[in-house]
Amino acid sequence: MLYQKIKYFLAQTAGSLWQFRTRNIFSVTIICLSFLIIGVFLSLANNLSATAGELAANISVTFFLDADLPQAATEALAAEMRRSPLVLGVDYVPAAEALTHFRESFPELRNVLESLKTNPFPPSLEARLKPEAATDEAAVQGFIASVRARPGVEDVQFNQDWIEKIRGLSRLARAAGLFLGGILVLASFFIISNIIKLNVFARRNEIEILRLVGGTNTFIRIPFLLEGMTLGFLGSLLSLLVLLVVIKLFPLYLGPTLGAVREIFEFRYLNLAQSLGLLTAGALIGLLGSLTSVSRFLRA
Amino acid sequence: MIELFHVWKQYQKPFWALSDINLQIEKGDFVFITGPSGSGKTTLLKTIFREILPTEGQIVIDGVNLLKIPDHRIFALRRQMGIVFQDFRLLFHRTVFDNVAVPLQVIGLPRKVIRRRVFHTLRQVNLHPKINDFPSRLSYGEQQRVAIARAVVNRPKIILADEPTGNLDPELAFEIVSLFKEINEQGATVIIGSHDRELIKRFGQRVLFLQKGRLATSQPTRD
Repeated sequence: MLYQKIKYFLAQTAGSLWQFRTRNIFSVTIICLSFLIIGVFLSLANNLSATAGELAANISVTFFLDADLPQAATEALAAEMRRSPLVLGVDYVPAAEALTHFRESFPELRNVLESLKTNPFPPSLEARLKPEAATDEAAVQGFIASVRARPGVEDVQFNQDWIEKIRGLSRLARAAGLFLGGILVLASFFIISNIIKLNVFARRNEIEILRLVGGTNTFIRIPFLLEGMTLGFLGSLLSLLVLLVVIKLFPLYLGPTLGAVREIFEFRYLNLAQSLGLLTAGALIGLLGSLTSVSRFLRA
Repeated sequence: MIELFHVWKQYQKPFWALSDINLQIEKGDFVFITGPSGSGKTTLLKTIFREILPTEGQIVIDGVNLLKIPDHRIFALRRQMGIVFQDFRLLFHRTVFDNVAVPLQVIGLPRKVIRRRVFHTLRQVNLHPKINDFPSRLSYGEQQRVAIARAVVNRPKIILADEPTGNLDPELAFEIVSLFKEINEQGATVIIGSHDRELIKRFGQRVLFLQKGRLATSQPTRD
């Protein structure tokens, strides 16, 4: 009997989805757009936090040197830096190599570089810090200050600030996504609720007959709940597909103008937990939307 | 057995749709409820299948008090009743088969059983050739028979019919009531609300006469 009822519910749901297909397509589109907003911001937050993670795993301090600093003094400084317990390794980057690297990273700025008569980049010593150094900011600052005070060291660049900034942006993107998406999801909840209400209203005679021949409220309600869940699920599934297409096409659209930004952002898709979370949320929104409208009708 | 004790129903003050109805209908009875328009026939039938509750009084069916029955048991009670509405209440976007199958789908019978029972019932009302037609393609009398088939397909103990012969020509009306009589002879209690006195006379069954919500007579009208 249960099998027969399940078959009946599925047939009813499919029938109703088809019968009211125009308004159902509208409903799925609205849900899709709401979840797409959340998806875009989640994807952005993923990219930012992954970038911050990569940077944190490779914390380095770059000490820019006087172009005229003798080779011996540079090597002595590098050797002294290597002795610090915070340092994993030290690399010397000559001015020419820095110029080459910049040209590769920013091909769109090639013209600017060519208009310059001399190489604007100074040589540098890049100290790669041990991962545990990230947690001991005072020690790192002490190390930077001691090296910075040495003759021939002109400037210093430390990527810790960037990591913090990117992490902050990641948190901001996630919060913005959840806030904007939350508002839109709430709107789609009311839209589903009203669309199901229209469907219920259009089938009120049928509901009345079902009640009078002994159909329980649950029996009457289930096809509508399945319908709402299906709309919510399809909407969120569609949003994941659209997001996938956007992520694949966006870098192609931006193309050569991306430059180094492409290195930072790999346009990562949502992870499995996030994707499943969005699908579940979609189905749940649909379920709740239809539950409120059907219950209201059955009470009347 | 259906028993009504001092049943009163008021929709709007100061008018009473039903006034102090006391009544007993035995199992297997065939009863007509008659009276002029607005006399309370439909209200009386509605209180028996508990579409509405009386303002006062008690209604007991097979020992179960309808006013004290919990909500979740109303469904079980209604499954023992077959109802033919004055306006048929057919689903016009569904075929004749689907319309008649509704009470069986509610109880979750297997598709094969549903198909067999629906076909059998439609043969009883002589509509089996139109099993796959939509109600909009049927005549008024045929739609009426679909509604009757839906009411009896579940083999209910009680059948309530509100003006099932309204707007039918006398011969078709006789045919329809004969159909109810056949069902009654198989053991079901049948209560028909009708204002067609000629038709009622032809069948010579017990008649309840309602006048302004009061039960005027409750007697057999055998010639």
